[in-house]
Amino acid sequence: MERITDNNLIVNIAHGENRDLLLLQDAGSRISPDVVLTIHQAGGSHLRLYVLTMPGCDVNNNIRIEQQGDGCHSELYILGIGTGSQHFGNTTHIEHQGIGGTSREVAKYVLSDSSHGTFYGMLKVLAGAQKTEACQTNRNVLLTTDAAVNTKPELEIYADDVKCSHGATTGQLDEAALFYMRQRGIDTQTARRMLLDAFMADIIDKIPDTSLTEKIREQIAETL
Amino acid sequence: MQKILEIKDLRASVSGKEILRGVNLNVNAGEIHAIMGPNGAGKSTLSNVLTGHPAYTVLGGEVTFRGKDLLTMNAEERAREGMFMSFQYPVEIPGVSMVNFMRTAVNEVRRHRGEPALSAGAFLKLLKQKRELVEMRSEFTNRSVNEGFSGGEKKRNEIFQMAMLEPVLSILDETDSGLDIDALRIVADGVNKLRTADNACIVITHYQRLLDYIVPDFVHVLYEGRIVMSGDKSLALELEQRGYDWIKDSIDR
Repeated sequence: MERITDNNLIVNIAHGENRDLLLLQDAGSRISPDVVLTIHQAGGSHLRLYVLTMPGCDVNNNIRIEQQGDGCHSELYILGIGTGSQHFGNTTHIEHQGIGGTSREVAKYVLSDSSHGTFYGMLKVLAGAQKTEACQTNRNVLLTTDAAVNTKPELEIYADDVKCSHGATTGQLDEAALFYMRQRGIDTQTARRMLLDAFMADIIDKIPDTSLTEKIREQIAETL
Repeated sequence: MQKILEIKDLRASVSGKEILRGVNLNVNAGEIHAIMGPNGAGKSTLSNVLTGHPAYTVLGGEVTFRGKDLLTMNAEERAREGMFMSFQYPVEIPGVSMVNFMRTAVNEVRRHRGEPALSAGAFLKLLKQKRELVEMRSEFTNRSVNEGFSGGEKKRNEIFQMAMLEPVLSILDETDSGLDIDALRIVADGVNKLRTADNACIVITHYQRLLDYIVPDFVHVLYEGRIVMSGDKSLALELEQRGYDWIKDSIDR
């Protein structure tokens, strides 16, 4: 897995190549408030991109993924944790240009205090990109009444033989689940942490570096 | 006889509406009490108030659980003191595994009792032993809590959790709802196997059917927020034959 450190970067992924990229924005990393990342995928290439915005990082990420050849596969996993008066946002654009491409985008935010997150996700399938299979999901948990999220999932499809889906949900931690756990003797704080861990797990568990995921979990547990 | 639960003149509301209007009930060790009553009588409110659900407000009265004031404890403290509710609608918790959930709960209860946390090996041994008691297949403990479980599997999972936590007082809230006869028998068998001289059980049910399997020492009728009649198990049979109207008539008159 390669760590992205530039704030303005174009990555070209060659034919049939397999790349794992990580953009980790935390207190320890040099953070630029604006990141522009463009990825060009040649035919048959595989991309997995992880974008993790940790507490305290005011950032705007602009991510563009173009599947320029046929049979490309892209996975984009975004996790944002907001605390204090933090503002962060992700604008993503995934474009299917070739035939038979697949993509999966999952963006999850956990927002506390008076933090604010934005998600603008565009999934575009050009006219020639038949047999595309793509899905985009955005799910957000607001832990306080002052936290806020703006989300705009978008789908633009110009081909007629594709399978695409998108959806966005925003809510609080499940009160019924919290009470169920407390009725079994688990205190509120532990129950909340278990529910948040579960919410974030399908992104964090995807990251292949387990020592890094441990660090990320600890960092999140300390701040939330 | 050891007193487990004493409820005195308990009044409670939900969403500003008074539901319990003076409930009195004593439960001693070794006893099984059935609480029956028509829809809207306050049966589920009683179990939610006893377990400390935050949506319910206690307006008055006293509840003593094992000699301690129950109403000043929060929900998790009540659970650690030995109160367990089998939920009418068990909650699905995607992403939280049964094993992780149960290990956390068991160790919280053990810590409260001043016992050390179970080792991973000891915990798994306990899990296997209790799973066999309720005839639950091993795959269920590897899944997320209640996620994708059928109605019967969810209820069986409640009894499994009861077996793991070994409560002093178990409240079975409409455990029979949504169960076919085979699942009902397995759930009731589990409850009967867990019965000892030191624990007690409150069975809340709409129908007499469950009481063929879990035989109560006492049957109480809850109506409009009060226990209006108490008897032995024959009262349940009488209710089954005659319905609730004759009780309503005698109260309302």
